[in-house]
Amino acid sequence: MTNSTLDPITLELIHNGLKSITYESYVALKKSAYSTNIKERHDHSVTIADPKGRIVVQAEGSFPTHLGSMAATMEIFLQTIPREEIHDGDIFISNDPHTTGGSHLPDVNLMMPVFHEGELICFICNLAHHADIGGMSPGSMDGSMTEIFQEGLRIPLIKLFDRGQLNQPLMDLILLNVRVPEERRGDYFAQVAACKLGCRRMAEHLAAYPRDLTLTAFDEIVERTHRRMKTAIASVPDGTYSFEDVMDDDGVGTKDIPISLKIAVSGDEMVLDFTGTSAQVAGNINCPRNATIGAVAYVLKALLDPNIANNHGTQSAFTVVTEGGSLVDARFPAAVASRNHTCQRLCDMVIGALAPALPDRVVAAANGSNTSIAIAGVDPRTGKPYIYFETLGGGFGARASKDGSDAVQVHMTNTSNSPIEALELEYPLLVEEYSLRENSGGAGRYRGGLGLRRVIRPLGHTASFNVVGERFVHAPWGLFEGQSGAPGFFSILCDEKGEIALPGKVPTRPLAPHQSISVQTPGAGGYGNPARRAPEARAEDLESGKFSPPAVA
Amino acid sequence: MKYTLGVDVGGTFTDLFVLSDAGQVFVHKTPSTPANPACAIVDGAKELCKKFDIAPSDVTRFCHGTTVATNALIQRRGGKVCMITTRGFKDVIEIARQVRPKYYDLYEDYPAPLVKRQDRFEITERVGFDGGVVKQIDRNELARIVDSIELGGYDACAICLLFSYNNPEHERIIAEEVRKRLPNLRLSVSSEVQPEFREYERFSTTVLNGYLLSVMTEYMKTLEQEVAENFGNTQLGVNQSSGGLMSVSRAQLFPIRTALSGPAAGVVGAIEIARQAGRKKVITLDMGGTSADVALIRDYGFDISLDRAIEGFPVRLPSIDIDSVGAGGGSVAWLDLDGLMKVGPESAGSYPGPACYKRGGTNPTVSDANLLLGRLSNRGLLNGTMPLDVSLSQTAIKPLSEKLGLEETRTAQGILSIVVANMVRAVRGISVERGLDPREYTLLAFGGAGPLHASAVAHALDMKEILVPPSPGILCAQGLVVSDLIERFVRTIRLPLDDDKAGEKLFEALAELRADAERWLQTEDLLPDVQRSSDVVVDMRYRGQNFELSVPLTGVQRKGVTEELRNAFFGAHERNYGFHNPKDPVEIVNLRLTESVKLYNAKAMQVSKTTVEKPVPEETRAVYYDQEAPLRAPVYDRAKFQPGMTFTGPAIVEQLDATTVVFPGDQVVIQENGSMLITVN
Repeated sequence: MTNSTLDPITLELIHNGLKSITYESYVALKKSAYSTNIKERHDHSVTIADPKGRIVVQAEGSFPTHLGSMAATMEIFLQTIPREEIHDGDIFISNDPHTTGGSHLPDVNLMMPVFHEGELICFICNLAHHADIGGMSPGSMDGSMTEIFQEGLRIPLIKLFDRGQLNQPLMDLILLNVRVPEERRGDYFAQVAACKLGCRRMAEHLAAYPRDLTLTAFDEIVERTHRRMKTAIASVPDGTYSFEDVMDDDGVGTKDIPISLKIAVSGDEMVLDFTGTSAQVAGNINCPRNATIGAVAYVLKALLDPNIANNHGTQSAFTVVTEGGSLVDARFPAAVASRNHTCQRLCDMVIGALAPALPDRVVAAANGSNTSIAIAGVDPRTGKPYIYFETLGGGFGARASKDGSDAVQVHMTNTSNSPIEALELEYPLLVEEYSLRENSGGAGRYRGGLGLRRVIRPLGHTASFNVVGERFVHAPWGLFEGQSGAPGFFSILCDEKGEIALPGKVPTRPLAPHQSISVQTPGAGGYGNPARRAPEARAEDLESGKFSPPAVA
Repeated sequence: MKYTLGVDVGGTFTDLFVLSDAGQVFVHKTPSTPANPACAIVDGAKELCKKFDIAPSDVTRFCHGTTVATNALIQRRGGKVCMITTRGFKDVIEIARQVRPKYYDLYEDYPAPLVKRQDRFEITERVGFDGGVVKQIDRNELARIVDSIELGGYDACAICLLFSYNNPEHERIIAEEVRKRLPNLRLSVSSEVQPEFREYERFSTTVLNGYLLSVMTEYMKTLEQEVAENFGNTQLGVNQSSGGLMSVSRAQLFPIRTALSGPAAGVVGAIEIARQAGRKKVITLDMGGTSADVALIRDYGFDISLDRAIEGFPVRLPSIDIDSVGAGGGSVAWLDLDGLMKVGPESAGSYPGPACYKRGGTNPTVSDANLLLGRLSNRGLLNGTMPLDVSLSQTAIKPLSEKLGLEETRTAQGILSIVVANMVRAVRGISVERGLDPREYTLLAFGGAGPLHASAVAHALDMKEILVPPSPGILCAQGLVVSDLIERFVRTIRLPLDDDKAGEKLFEALAELRADAERWLQTEDLLPDVQRSSDVVVDMRYRGQNFELSVPLTGVQRKGVTEELRNAFFGAHERNYGFHNPKDPVEIVNLRLTESVKLYNAKAMQVSKTTVEKPVPEETRAVYYDQEAPLRAPVYDRAKFQPGMTFTGPAIVEQLDATTVVFPGDQVVIQENGSMLITVN
């Protein structure tokens, strides 16, 4: 294929077409799903992988960690599934982090091959976080799990559909092992429908753009993204940068878990070396290597070139070094459900390391957490069990030219809150307060964002709850003399007896109707010396009530 | 003779369209007067009356599409707003949905709320999920809040309480108290603006409405006064985003309803053109200088969308379901960092505009590409009053073509193919992606640049027909004239479909909505014999889902209604997502009633005699289509067309406000109303 048949105009038209295929499929999955993590938190993704297993296009809005997981899954797929066992109408399924490239068990990967005149052209893949995958706790995300077997059903790489025929025994096996199977079935079929939709659209695409052109376009897209990422890396001054940070704890007793990072930049080469990081821990904040790579890919893109495409070319432009069996390269039988807390920290750390090199582009430490709350019980209105689950945003780090945003999801996650009017309709709960957490942003020339405060009470019954936070001990740091933001804080408010302070990770415990659970998420770090804050900004801090003396930003 | 006048105020021109009782049409265009839009409206209307010898007192209806609210939002020229909200929740409006606008951009934020944190007052009160009162209003606290508001010098106050959609009593008590003490303060009350669940979207809409109250009231007063002075007792109607008119008094209460009305009138006008041509399935393509709007019409009706945003703020109100892409005549072509060519969303606008406008623009735009390819005439727009310079287009495109290593004409063809692909993607979004086949639809092209690109869009989607209205640039003003008076009512009723009494409860809620509609009609000062119609839809979802699908409620029988709704929902789910789960529980979330009053009765437009003559071209010129070499295409003056004339492309049709490109082999027939019907080869 010569360049004259695939000029940048035709390539743009094909790339656009592929992007719209993934996006249509992504939206269909979001809108038809039942799991909160998909419909509300958009913890799902759709990708097109080429016959070599490289990710060519990821749908806009997709969860960044998934790029790493789908790439790892496709690599194992091509190593283990012989070509002659891949047929038109097949859909493959897997989720295991330790053997099939999964990133944690609730994330289920589906892969459907697309054939054109008998030839394998690509795979339409999607990945979605199910509300439950079985295991010892409802929701399969409990912070007290200590090995993969407790976390749920491990699905090897197998066919869910064989030549268009559903593997019913497999579906039955899966549904028998998960909670609320009727809803989960709906989610599996939403994923299947999204795969089939993508395949139909791909067939239409191949009618408009011949096979040769499309396959050449795959190469070109990946190659051009790779070159663009290389150019972005080359914009970072050569040198060695390092950063150390500490995770609060693993939820089951190990505290102050160190992570170590050295970044070596030379021309367009970048090596991120996590050697020296803590060994994997008993709790489930361990990261499979593919999730570590997903986090690094996210943060480099955000720092260096936010508009670059998400595909194999982004990830092939840098090198990540990890030690097997460490917190950032967890191996069997490590528990990994809450790996996103660690991924959030890795983002802060890459930014922190590169701060001296890129002072105008970096941000101070964000709330660094994926603060989550789960409340479960039996609804006295209906007599039926319920589980409410939500993750809360917090402060975003202050920037070189402006304050950090208040109360947002940061870095690896960008999920909506539950509207109070939706939440109270659905669950026997009363939200008593939902507000910005005053004085929680780190002072600085530009101040860090404020955390959130959400107070919830069970109505007419005793419920149980668990909460998981990070940066509830080690505060989010500031940059260039900016100060730290406030760590998070959980507590129970009792009508009569005042407030009971709780640690940053609380395994399931009861909550009576005269009690409320108060969640206060961390703020974020400031940027620059607070003495240099503009007087108008300082006046607005006070007038708005976001800050009060002596904690003035 | 009585006349109805439609006035559409655009950024550059104010368009006027007059229809007489006998079906005569008169059009006029005058420069807009942004400082006081009423000037151009009243002066333009006077000019038009004079030009066509119409007595101003014979203009009995004055239908107006306004961008005053939209512009006030864009330029942040609204009033100073305060807010009263439930204790513990003053930050809801600021926290929003706790998301960042872009996943990967560390520096981009949503705009700050239009009501500052220090201007939000919390009142002790609480209504529960079922509408029951959890906590009574603290009256002393309310009195103190009103004291503070009095000192604050506010233009408006937004009253936003939790669950007020289910029980508006607390909002009413507060509104009454504020009104009593501060009669000049304008109020925006969430249960009146849009009584629907999900507090952030409702509060946001209510605050935006409050922000616009003073601007809109002042504007409406000026306009009403000037219209009364010059046209006597004419009835004034204001266009809404949902594609119908409302009275001036309602526009003053709910200015936010006009904020997305710009493209709505065009769709209503398109429906009228579709009706005249007898085409029930139409996709509209309204392309201007910065964007292209597409909408889908079935059975002369449009779909409604509820989740829109303006200036980064969500607006939860019904609006015509229009998708917009940054594809216009001024859209700029550029090379991204990976070397791929992009077109838009950045636009050169009207100033400096495309390079060929000779106003100092140097970026290569879509219009430059059209000019270079001979699709636009270098005599330019508006019958030669604004000539275009093709050498400037060439200079602008040259650097791009050098970087790409392509001929300039090939580069220009590339610019057009990319901008067309962007529009094709938008059309697919409202058709294919909702389970509808665009090949069964007629493409109706309007706006200054719509007819220029319609053929390419139709060919790409394999659509068989294109319809170009007589005055593509003035269709919005025409749409205003034929618009109905419309009011929409909503009730959130969360109800499982398998509830024994679902049918009964549904009809109870519907009866309440109908009573609301009656009350509204009584305030509207209408003739007793007006033609009314109503329309009911139900928003439904599977229990556990988050997104609702709207299905029409057609039956009037309680019996069997749930079965009918269930089947309709399954069909909608299948069309939208490609599957449905027959056994899963379904629930109703909202009930919506639309009440319409016909203000205009379609009459046969005056038809000129048909002819069998062929049109005579003014000239022929070299036009590049998709091939490497140009074709000699005849150029026609549309003003000289007669109904019945036919010809075959390649051809270019020029008129005052638009140019139509006819592709080789496509056949054109001039319709009785003057529309061009192009059959795609």
